[in-house]
Amino acid sequence: MTTVPSAHDVLVVDSLVRRFGDLTAVDGVSFRIAPGETYGLLGPNGAGKTTTISMIAGLIAADSGTVKVAGQRMTPATTEPRRHLGLVPQELAIYPELSARENLTLFGRLQGLSGKALSARVEEVLELIGLADRAKSLSKEYSGGMKRRLNIGIGLLHQPTLLILDEPTVGVDPQSRNQILESVEALSADGMAVLYTTHYMEEAERLCDRIGIIDTGRLQAEGTRDELIRLTGGVDTIRLSGSGDLAAAAERLRALEGVERVEADRRTATLTVRDAPVLVASVVGTVAGSGVTLADVEISRPDLESVFLHLTGKALRD
Amino acid sequence: MRQLLALAASDLRMRIRDRSVLIFALVVPLALMFVFNLVFGNTDDIEIEPVTVAVSAPAGDDLAAVVGEVLRSLDGMDGLDVTVRETTADDGRRQVEDGDAALAVLVPEGFGEAARTGDAVTVEAVRGDEAGLEADVVLSAVDGVLDQLGTGAVTARAGLAEGIPPDQLAALAEQATAGGPAYELRQGEASDEQLDAGASLVAGQAGLFLLFTVSFGVTSLLVDRETGTLARLRSMPIPAWTIVGSKALVSFVLGVVSTSVLLLAGSFFFDADFGSPPAVALLVVCVVAAATSVMFLIARVARTSEQAGIATSIVAVVLGIGGGAFFPVSATGRFAPLLDLNPVAALLRGLGTTSGGGGVADLGVPIAIMLGFAATTWVLSRLVPDRGALA
Repeated sequence: MTTVPSAHDVLVVDSLVRRFGDLTAVDGVSFRIAPGETYGLLGPNGAGKTTTISMIAGLIAADSGTVKVAGQRMTPATTEPRRHLGLVPQELAIYPELSARENLTLFGRLQGLSGKALSARVEEVLELIGLADRAKSLSKEYSGGMKRRLNIGIGLLHQPTLLILDEPTVGVDPQSRNQILESVEALSADGMAVLYTTHYMEEAERLCDRIGIIDTGRLQAEGTRDELIRLTGGVDTIRLSGSGDLAAAAERLRALEGVERVEADRRTATLTVRDAPVLVASVVGTVAGSGVTLADVEISRPDLESVFLHLTGKALRD
Repeated sequence: MRQLLALAASDLRMRIRDRSVLIFALVVPLALMFVFNLVFGNTDDIEIEPVTVAVSAPAGDDLAAVVGEVLRSLDGMDGLDVTVRETTADDGRRQVEDGDAALAVLVPEGFGEAARTGDAVTVEAVRGDEAGLEADVVLSAVDGVLDQLGTGAVTARAGLAEGIPPDQLAALAEQATAGGPAYELRQGEASDEQLDAGASLVAGQAGLFLLFTVSFGVTSLLVDRETGTLARLRSMPIPAWTIVGSKALVSFVLGVVSTSVLLLAGSFFFDADFGSPPAVALLVVCVVAAATSVMFLIARVARTSEQAGIATSIVAVVLGIGGGAFFPVSATGRFAPLLDLNPVAALLRGLGTTSGGGGVADLGVPIAIMLGFAATTWVLSRLVPDRGALA
């Protein structure tokens, strides 16, 4: 896969390769992220997402390929590009014996903030992550969701150009998960570039401007949600069930414009169509006109799960 | 440097809040000091009870009378309180049986003549069942007197064998008896590099638990890796050595504080006198440097905090016991000098020197051992392939 870097890209990943013994964990991964863009790296566990992120964050060296953050080459030995980067690891990378304020202050100092600027930014982030009223409590006393929010807060404390979130909602209750997703949306709206890894396709669909689908260390496809879905052929499915002879109605259904295929027996019919939401009224009317009483109508549209299945031959959560 | 200090300060704050370091660095060693002191510590403070000795000596035998005189002369010497009762042999035995005397020394008739002529003679000592250490001391003194008189007997026998006239034998035997040994044994300082039992326990426990205390730095490095915090730290614009350096600084500070507090507490509670404070401080700094260097090595090879904990325990026990943390250790053979290269042993040796009045200038050998150990271990930690926290 080739990418055409822009001079303004926040992140440019070019042909990254990383091997662990005989295993090639990352195999020629390339992509880029523009300012203000949220890029999702979608793949199952073990696909190579965290290894890719580790190279982007300069934690491990690449066997080959390059990473540039804000135009500067990132390696384990370089310091300067790290100023532009905020990493939110998959684990809860906070100190449980420190309060939220102490955690933020410590990591702020390590990012080079100090004095009033640091204090002000710490208070801002405490408000942003909803922990201002618990700022003095030791973080080991927080709920899982609060710890996750603090974990994210530390990553964006120094207002990085690129925020990397490595599966930030793993093990989080639905309410906290929604708060986290809203926070990411807000950051993106403020112009921060975000690299978001997940194996939840609904998160990728909701948050990401562009998505890279990664499996067995390779970027299988990349694009917007619609671009990726087009890879599957872009067809929807309408499933019908009811009493009466659906097989007899099949011929009239095939005649409808936009219907590509119909498979039916007496009680059920499955239609492959171009645009199910638009076509469903005609389908229901046609079936009713054939003397069939419908019991159930189900519309399926292709999603990223379908894309992953289409590209790799296996389900995303396998 | 500002970032290193910020990391170290936070780490120290966490260690103190965590309290485990306080337990391992102060509470446990202090408790052990108290226990060991209860078990072993009173050997220096044995109370000498008054002792009564019944002596039966034949009248007119001047050599037999020497035995009684010697026993009387023991009274007041080194805290001994000796009462000598002259009595008959039967009464002496009865007094011991009744518990009126701790010891009866029964010199037989003809003792003096036998000593002069070299004939065999037996002096009977009857020791009471409840006689204490004092009776043993007195008995030793009697033994010494009899040995000396025996020297005269042997001289007389030798003279007889050489054909010396009998009238000259007695004079010769007396001369041999009265004459002192050809050499003089003078009591001196046991050694200027040995602590007394109490101080040795204090210093030993401080040295042993120092190794556990400094391990908190390296353990926290591995915990940081397990929790993902190390990845976050390494993604920040700070040199990699800052992270390890801050952990080492925390280990060093904890080690210096805990060892100093333990030595001070030992001085206060157990009357241990370690001598010159600057010299002791220098020893503490050097032994903490040596202990911290071990942790660099463990950080290099341990993959998890559990592995680090096990490795630390092994190293602490080996160096602690080998260094004499529980009891003095000596070894023979080709590898015996290795024991001297142990930083805990060097600490005890150095504190022995300072407690004997030595100053900084007298600490060359122990300091060289500790700093040499630190340098060697640090170099080793650079050479060993990294499979630990920063791998």
